[in-house]
Amino acid sequence: MTRFDLRDYLPVLLMFVVAAGFAVTNILLTQLVGQRKQTRTKLMPYECGKDPVGSARERFSVKFYLIAMIFILFDIEVIFLVPWAVVFKTLAGPEYGLRNLVYTEMMVFVILLLAGYIYVVKKGAFDWGERARHEAEAEARALEDLRKKELAARRAA
Amino acid sequence: MNLSLALQIQNVSPDVNLLLILPELIVCTAGVIVMMVDAFARPRQRWMTGGLALVGLVAAMAASFWMWSGWAGPREAFHGMIVLDELRLGFTFIALLVSALTVLVSMVWVEGENLPAGEFHSLLLFATSGMMLMASGGDLVIIFLGLEILSIATYVMAGFRRTDLRSNESSLKYFILGSFSSAFLLYGIALVYGATATRTGLAGTTNIAEIANRLDVSLYPPLLFAGAAMMLVGFGFKIATAPFHVWTPDVYEGAPTPVTAFMAAGPKAAGFASFLRVFVFGFPFVATVASVQGQIHAAWLGALVVLAIITMTIGNVGAIVQNNVKRMLAYSSIAHAGYALVGFVAAGATGDPVFKSEALSSVAFYMLTYAVMNLGAFAVVTLIARSGDRRTDFEDYNGIGFQSPGLAFTLSLFMLSLLGLPLTAGFMGKIMVFRAALNAGYYSLVVIAVLNTAISAYYYLRLIIVMFFRERTTSWSAPRVPASVIVVLIITVLGVFYLGLFPNRVLDAFKTRPPAVMATR
Repeated sequence: MTRFDLRDYLPVLLMFVVAAGFAVTNILLTQLVGQRKQTRTKLMPYECGKDPVGSARERFSVKFYLIAMIFILFDIEVIFLVPWAVVFKTLAGPEYGLRNLVYTEMMVFVILLLAGYIYVVKKGAFDWGERARHEAEAEARALEDLRKKELAARRAA
Repeated sequence: MNLSLALQIQNVSPDVNLLLILPELIVCTAGVIVMMVDAFARPRQRWMTGGLALVGLVAAMAASFWMWSGWAGPREAFHGMIVLDELRLGFTFIALLVSALTVLVSMVWVEGENLPAGEFHSLLLFATSGMMLMASGGDLVIIFLGLEILSIATYVMAGFRRTDLRSNESSLKYFILGSFSSAFLLYGIALVYGATATRTGLAGTTNIAEIANRLDVSLYPPLLFAGAAMMLVGFGFKIATAPFHVWTPDVYEGAPTPVTAFMAAGPKAAGFASFLRVFVFGFPFVATVASVQGQIHAAWLGALVVLAIITMTIGNVGAIVQNNVKRMLAYSSIAHAGYALVGFVAAGATGDPVFKSEALSSVAFYMLTYAVMNLGAFAVVTLIARSGDRRTDFEDYNGIGFQSPGLAFTLSLFMLSLLGLPLTAGFMGKIMVFRAALNAGYYSLVVIAVLNTAISAYYYLRLIIVMFFRERTTSWSAPRVPASVIVVLIITVLGVFYLGLFPNRVLDAFKTRPPAVMATR
């Protein structure tokens, strides 16, 4: 066993410095360089997408949940890339010679991820435009009507 | 560094054989393609997804037939994670058939209900690939993965009619109890994995054949018992055996009817496939009762006999008092799980490879006959239920016999087949299962099963009587029968007669050809 040496942890310290520097630089840069357009919405206190003043029991768009779910999905799937990257060199080396297999498998995985992403985009999960909103509202109203009609039919029967 | 060290210790030649999982690959790929087509197609082109799904399923079926007849390569791949034997092929065939018939039943229904067809079909394909993995997995991990792929897709399908409260209830109940049972199964797997370590510090195993080898040398035999019991409960939930059946009627009643048809036939068959593989091959029969293996075998077999009896009885008695056809069919599906368990007991009770293979093939054959007649019956129920599944009570069937004779006669045929009338598939299925049990010496079990069949006559015949001999008080307009459903009805009616009259070809195909493929490892 090697003895404890604080110098081994220098890279970690450097990482901290870089991370803090990155954050500070970005904030400073936006303050100095970025142009400002003050709108009413922008100046409101930040409250995760809803009005900061008013009833706390309002209904959320289901989209928030959808986005959260998709985020977790892709997040976890990207984590799978890390162990793959860690062992890739060993497995691709002469000892195992699995370069093609390991590479293809991860590419298949990434392509499947991409397919899922394209599906999600095409289905309008990230579409926050006015039109998408109106469409969703229209659909909700239609579904509600349908439900009422069904209930009425069942009561009549 | 530690990681690469661990890799060096283990044998990492990956043992890849993509041809051995060709049917699964085809179905998965078809699922992804259907998803993409659904994303890019305009609403008018949605019908394409159903066609594509059918093409994928037929291609997978062709691949599995090729494996059945012309496979000369190794019968294991991925270090025993995937196995190829007649048990797998039989259940793969059932899964593909169920899925294809469900696509046909739902093609027009999904449009009429204004549901997203593409999503439905891709979910169905993913569920099918899960079922196939459950049949082909030679490792507990693969079986669990297949089960989850299947279950998650099915939870969504059960709640597919978003605006219908019953559908929501069904989906939620299925989800909660399904995850509960998955947890049981997973805990059982973990315990078995821990118990099969042969020396302190060494890892256990999840490979089913390897588990069988290690039973007598395992470090912690009590854990083995606990693990096996947990897995028994987990699988019991999935195939709806009696003490764990409570979710079935509610879920089957609330889910959209084509989905119910799929759930009653597909996941149940897949559950039986893995249940059989894990217990018959993982905790196999031995002559000496004194060993750990003998004790564990005696324990699960005894439990299964009791389960079979309770399941048959509760299923049949419960079905008698139902006033809803879907609920009645749900209880009937519980009862049929009980009959199939009789064959399961026979398969587990013998060490003789010929008898064992006969009993295994009888269970697979039983699930095939049940799938055929069940899907046919649910196809008719879907038509009569109309949009929103509104007409599913017995009253709604009053006197339709002579006004829609075609539908009424086919439904009657399926009822008679479910009852087990001679010349129909249901009769042959029961005969095979009961004969296997008689060969294994379970006379009283068979007597109870036959008595139960007699009870079941009440509610199957009741539907026929309602259809033909009751006066109809409300008006009846015959439902339009779409061409795809006509195809389903033709296939299922022919299937009922074919399996009932000439079962030998199918039975022979389901039998293990080289005796006990699994035992070679």
